[in-house]
Amino acid sequence: MDRKALLIDYIKDEIMRNKNAKLDENEDLLSAGILDSLAILQLVAYIDKELAIEVPDEDVIYDNFKSINSLVSYLQRF
Amino acid sequence: MRYLLPLAVTRSAERHPDRQAIRVTGQSLTYAELEGRSNSLARTLHELGLSRGERVGIYMNKGLESAVAIYGIMKAGGAYVPLDPFAPVARIGFVIQDCGIRHLITKETKREQIGEILTDKTCVEYVIGLAESDGLKVHCVSWEDVYRTPSHSLRMNITEQDLAYILYTSGSTGVPKGIMHTHRSGLSFAEWGVDTYALTHEDRLSNHAPLHFDLSTFDYFSSAIAGATTVIIPEALTKFPANLSGLMEEESISVWYSVPFALIQLMEHGGIQKRDLSALRWILFAGEVFPTKHLRNLMAMFPHVRFSNLYGPTETNVCTYYHVEQIPPDTEDTIPIGMPCANIEDLVVDLDDKPVTPGEVGELLIRGGVVMEGYWGQPEKTAQGFYRRPSFGQFEDIFYRTGDLVQLDANGNYRYLGRKDRQIKTRGYRVELDEIEVALLAHAGVQEAAAYPIPDNQGSNLIEAAVILKVSNNLASSDLVEHLSRRLPPYAIPVRIDIMDDFPRTSTGKINRRELRERALGRLAL
Repeated sequence: MDRKALLIDYIKDEIMRNKNAKLDENEDLLSAGILDSLAILQLVAYIDKELAIEVPDEDVIYDNFKSINSLVSYLQRF
Repeated sequence: MRYLLPLAVTRSAERHPDRQAIRVTGQSLTYAELEGRSNSLARTLHELGLSRGERVGIYMNKGLESAVAIYGIMKAGGAYVPLDPFAPVARIGFVIQDCGIRHLITKETKREQIGEILTDKTCVEYVIGLAESDGLKVHCVSWEDVYRTPSHSLRMNITEQDLAYILYTSGSTGVPKGIMHTHRSGLSFAEWGVDTYALTHEDRLSNHAPLHFDLSTFDYFSSAIAGATTVIIPEALTKFPANLSGLMEEESISVWYSVPFALIQLMEHGGIQKRDLSALRWILFAGEVFPTKHLRNLMAMFPHVRFSNLYGPTETNVCTYYHVEQIPPDTEDTIPIGMPCANIEDLVVDLDDKPVTPGEVGELLIRGGVVMEGYWGQPEKTAQGFYRRPSFGQFEDIFYRTGDLVQLDANGNYRYLGRKDRQIKTRGYRVELDEIEVALLAHAGVQEAAAYPIPDNQGSNLIEAAVILKVSNNLASSDLVEHLSRRLPPYAIPVRIDIMDDFPRTSTGKINRRELRERALGRLAL
């Protein structure tokens, strides 16, 4: 599975906890209230474990986590 | 003459019309602009028939318009009711019906949710902030139209005893309760804040808390009294410590106020060593106990900053405070909640409501101008919340019961020991565990439910729950999460729901929640 699909599945299953949730790739996950502080920590831990990418603290910022697409594009540098 | 909260803006607009009142992501309003725009909104509300004491909902992410809404509503003689922009629409709908909101103030970004909230039975008649109705059976007024309304000042036919705002919090019976504050109670607290932290028009205060959280009243009202600038932190950025530390530097924040959790995150992931935070002079925190280990580390990082612990349930704004002294390296004792604020009378009573001798444990009762008016539409609950002490056989002193157990230490500071009931804090929000259990039991497939707090080692709690299902159904915990997400705000939804065949019981057959909690802690320790 590619990164995008993995991340979408993870956010739906573990963060939104609703497999049937609708999740637009460009939706602002923060302004829509989908990601909260705890969810961001979970997501960073998941990326570390499943994609073997250790996101440094200074990169855990709004621009990189704004939407599925911004996260995928950020992760391309690894 | 400042007996109403919005007069703080009016006076600052007279004194410093061109100073910035509100800033958010590159946009700003001067005091003159905030005064003018809130006058325009107040006039719009009058034209739409708002009467004295009516409740007006604010339903949007924080920004310039939400600040205009706070003052415009109060100037029109109404009470503002901040609605959590991330709460499920059913809960928003409940609050709207509970306090009879006819006027709702919003932004285009909430159009979809507004459509869901405005059912046939809604009491909302006017929506300000949407361009046209577009299928909604309500009268809409855009922000452009609001700002075309004359902006000169208007007469406010209200007194300091009028309602200013209502903040809804978790209620133990499963429905949120509305805590009513008057101009007097809001100002009593805000004026104390200005004095105690010596705020001036040079200060730049953070607004980290959401509007439905009482910390925000300091960020806006104390700032407006001082003629200072409030820097609104958009909800999205509050989740990212690296963004927060950048914002603190770029905006030269001088007074920071948040829950301890945000500060611990900032310290551990914010990269603050690399930031120039020389403008910062006060760090204020409230809402939860700050773990001593973390606080000591934070204080070591900012030797030039003073730290203050503010304590008080939403019902009393803030009622005690403690300016933190040096914390010895070898102690893990939690810091005190300190002494009563100005013009506040404190009383500690035992289980029989008899005053305790200093140093004994008891419930803290509070009396003074900061105390709420009561719970909206719940006279019985309001009566239960107060303790009336006869005085000289002719008068009654009315105290608010905090429900918090305290003890006076040798230095005359109160120490917080815990709750009398089952209310807990999670990330600064108070949650009644009973409310979560009631919400779980509302599912047709649930037989019994238990909710309990698990410390997160970040100074806060996470919530877990366990349920026993009725026979012959195969619900998954994800079904229950989905059920709860339609009833509870996100922070109140358990991070884990275990489905069990039976619960551990006490000798009298009650659910042994302590044992459930121990098991969860054991699992986490593995």
